[in-house]
Formats: sequence, structure tokens, C-alpha cells
Amino acid sequence: MLSAGLRFQARHRPVHGVRLQFIIAKPSCLRHRRNLAIATNTEPGGSSPPNVRIGSAGSFQVFDRRVKGLQRDRAAKNAEESRKVDYLRDEVANRLVERLYDINRSYEHVLDLGAGACHLARALHRPCTGLEPFASRIKHLTSTELSSKLLYRDSDSDIIPSKSPMELTRLAQDEETVLLAPPSQGGLFESNTFDAVISCGSLHWINDLPSVLSGISRVLKPDSPFLCAMFGGDTLYELRTSLQLAGMDRLGGVSPHVSPLADVRDMGGLLQRAGYKLITIDIDDIIVDYENVFALIKDLQAMGEANTVLGRRKSLAGLSKDVLIGLEGIYKELHGRAEDGGSGGEAGIPATFRIIYMIGWKEGTGQQKPLKRGSGEVNLKDILGEQSRLG
Amino acid sequence: MPGSKIRPVDRLAQAVAKCGTESTAYGKCIAKDFNNVYKDKCLAEFQVLQSCVLKHMGKK
Repeated sequence: MLSAGLRFQARHRPVHGVRLQFIIAKPSCLRHRRNLAIATNTEPGGSSPPNVRIGSAGSFQVFDRRVKGLQRDRAAKNAEESRKVDYLRDEVANRLVERLYDINRSYEHVLDLGAGACHLARALHRPCTGLEPFASRIKHLTSTELSSKLLYRDSDSDIIPSKSPMELTRLAQDEETVLLAPPSQGGLFESNTFDAVISCGSLHWINDLPSVLSGISRVLKPDSPFLCAMFGGDTLYELRTSLQLAGMDRLGGVSPHVSPLADVRDMGGLLQRAGYKLITIDIDDIIVDYENVFALIKDLQAMGEANTVLGRRKSLAGLSKDVLIGLEGIYKELHGRAEDGGSGGEAGIPATFRIIYMIGWKEGTGQQKPLKRGSGEVNLKDILGEQSRLG
Repeated sequence: MPGSKIRPVDRLAQAVAKCGTESTAYGKCIAKDFNNVYKDKCLAEFQVLQSCVLKHMGKK
């Protein structure tokens, strides 16, 4: 595994017949240093998902965006349950804000693409050890989200404190299409509008990533950053493999239950193709312990993160009952943590969420550029000495 | 109101939780040789598990 992840636990307690009481590691800023990897980093394993074909303008559809909207609407309708599963996206948003501190800038107008229930706006107001909340460096935040019910789940006063220097505008717009066209062609945003674009935990449902990435580049002002956290790679690999095995044994074949996800190297290539400069990519694993596999599936549903792969099984809520019955045993056997004492002897199950963090800059004047090939005047060998030789 | 009624999937979850031994036996059977899983490979174990689950669902 490439990065050392943080483990926090979500314990489910059967209170009043319903579950849930989350004990989450208190978010503290700048707590963990990340493993930095530049865009050329290659990661072993993984297959190229079909949704990252380059240069195809919306021709390839993997996800049903309409259903995704409905799922999020439905999840947000039960606001109480929905708030209980904020733990994951809040944690991701906190970690993304940590990365914002790394850039020594203030911003006039920032776009939050795929805001969910405004997790980023909340994270921006969390105080960081010894530092002011980052919101003090942003004048205006525009949050867009496909599902208006999720976007407006909480009132303004729940999200941002009354004395906040930051203004928040919420727009219920599909993040897949909102940036594609300029106002002259029916779009919303002019080119070169935003001082930064941030996307936190929503790009994994985008069908046409190349277009969205170039749309983001279009609305960014020159020399402005795009920061993004998205679920990728090995996210939920335990669930994916267990479902495959259960499906093989019970139904004699597999059907897509867990989305194809972009890999680290895919994202590096995509950002480069979309014209971003000074690309930085790093990954983080968040491992959440659940009481059992049903608790995991239920939480995913409450997050509005249920399956919307086109061509999924549509009957019986997607999962056959036989597969569900068998799933628990397989998951525990293959991935359970009772033996290694990870969850203190409790027979819980871990679920991995691999988050890819990306920073890319729109080209601008005065930006650092790589020197021309062959223009170096110092021989690295002289500096590093003979020991620099590998091997 | 959600919450006043137990969802069918929750009943299923509770029933599966009560069949720990059978569930583990089925999981062990699949995991034993997980590169070579075919339809009904662990049918016997599954049937034991299924009847246990059905029994506990019926009681509710």
C-alpha cells in the first residue's frame, strides 16, 4: 500500500432499534503529513476505468446522473440520518482544507464544485491549531451541487457562523455540465471568473472527466489553483471483491455493484491533458470500521453513494437477497479484522476509502516553468558525488 | 415516518447477525479457494446459512 492511512472507527450501537454513534478522531489541522507523489507516480495494480477516456466529448456514459440526483435527494430528505454519515466527507473536506493552507494566498471568489451538503464551507470555518479558520482568506464561496435537497439540507446559520467574513452562494447545478459552456452559449460562468476551484468528494460520479477538467480550467483565472479530492483506486475494494465472490457463487456471475474508479496515474494524465501546470497528486487512505456489512451498505446509501452504474441490476434494490445473505460471511472471512486485534477483538469489518488529492494550476504569467531541456549548467553528479549512483 | 417500521433489509441484517457460525462456515468455504469460485460451489454451506437466516426472520 502506498500511503499510511489514518484509521478511525465508526461504531454502531443498537440504540432505540436504530444504530449509530460515531466516534471519530477529532479533526485537527495539519496533523498528518502526506506522502507526496508527483504526477508521474505510478501505482501498481488497478485497471483503467472506462470513464477516463481522453478526448471523447461526452460520448461514453458510465453513470446514470439522473438516478444519482434522485439518490442524493432521497438521502437528504432524511436529514438526521444524512447528517450522521457526514463523517467521511467532512474528514475529506478537512484534509483538503489543510492543503489549502499550503498555498499562501487569499481568494476573492472560490467555486466549490459538487458541494454535497456544503461540507467544504463547514470545513473552512473549523479553526486550525494556531491558525485562523481558512474562511478568513476567502471572500465569496459559490457552492454547486446536483441535488438541491442535499445542497439546502442545512440552513446558512448551521453551516457558517454569523460573523463569518465569507459569503456563501448555493446553486443547484449539475457539476458535470455547469462549467462546460460560457454564458453566451447558455452556461452560467464567464471564463476567468474564479480565483480557485475546489472539488471535494464528488468527481467520482462524473462521466466525462476530461470535459469537466477543461471546464474548470476555463472558469479559473490565469495562475489560479484547482484543488480536488476524489474517491479513487482501491476505494471499497473489500466490498467489491466480496460482492464479486458472493455473486459468482450464488448467481454464477458478477454484476457491477461498485463503480469503476479513476486511478492516481489516470488523474495525473488527465490533468496534464487538460492543460494544468505544476500538478501535485497525493493519496490518503481512510479506513472506517463498521459493525457489519449491512451497516456499511446502509451508510453508503445514506450518503447518497449507492450504485448508479448504467447496466446495474435494477431488481431487488440491486442486490439479490442470496448475495446479501452470503456477503457478510465472505467479507468477514477475507477482510475481517477480528484476528489482528485491530478493533479490539470486536468482529467488525474495515472499509477502505482511498482519496486522491490533486492540485493543478492554470497557466499564467510569472508562473514557475520547467527549464528548457539541456539548459542546466551544474552537473548533478558533482553535487551528489559517486554515491548517487543507484545500484 | 422512517424509523417507526423496521426495513426489510434491517430484519435481514439482524437475522444474518444471529447466524454467525453458519455465516463464517460459508465465508470459509468461499475464501478457501477464492480464485476458483463457480456457481453453487458452496451450495451446502449456503443452504445451512439460508435456513438459519429464514428461521430467525420468521420469528420476528
